[in-house]
Amino acid sequence: MQADGVIGRYAIGGAVGATFYLEPAATLDVDVFVTLPGLSEKTLVSLTPIYEYLKGHGCKPEGEHIIIGAWPVQFLLPSNGLENEALSQAVQADAGGIPTWVMTAEHLVAIALQTGRQKDHGRILQFFDHKAIDHAKLGAIVTRYGLDDKWKKFKKRYFDD
Amino acid sequence: MTSERRRKLASLSFGEKLELLELLRDRSLLLAEARKKLARKKDRVEGHKNDKTLPRSS
Repeated sequence: MQADGVIGRYAIGGAVGATFYLEPAATLDVDVFVTLPGLSEKTLVSLTPIYEYLKGHGCKPEGEHIIIGAWPVQFLLPSNGLENEALSQAVQADAGGIPTWVMTAEHLVAIALQTGRQKDHGRILQFFDHKAIDHAKLGAIVTRYGLDDKWKKFKKRYFDD
Repeated sequence: MTSERRRKLASLSFGEKLELLELLRDRSLLLAEARKKLARKKDRVEGHKNDKTLPRSS
């Protein structure tokens, strides 16, 4: 899709992205953050070209997902600075011989903190259990995107710190 | 799950983990389907119990 100019950068986020760093945990779909090429800020953004392209390649849409291979995939546009940075600093990962891009552990944790659901908190704790986090890097991201209060509350709740 | 097993799972390659994710997802879908079937069955049974127009066995 990148080679055909349908998408710009992309990075796997969510539970599947976290699996790059952690043990696999059940999830039903794949979240892929994408940028669209050739868009100015004033352009009305639509994911239609991605879905049309994939439908042309035999993929079936299903609600807000599109089935690629065995997986329902949801394409997401970065909706804030944190997600934009996560996308631009994604790291390359090998998925069974296929090179792909995954968000860094610190960005996945920061996004989970920002989203703040119970399952997101659970995932953050997993990252800590696995010592998969560079604390200085995470601290810088947390401060850069105004998540200090959320981070303090999280630590107080789970680490009594 | 023991922390040792979790560490081993975490040290698998991304490709191997994705294969496991597929298995986990299939199992989750199967479980969800089974739960739905059970709920439908329960609804049917409750529906019969509450249906006063049906003849009751003595």
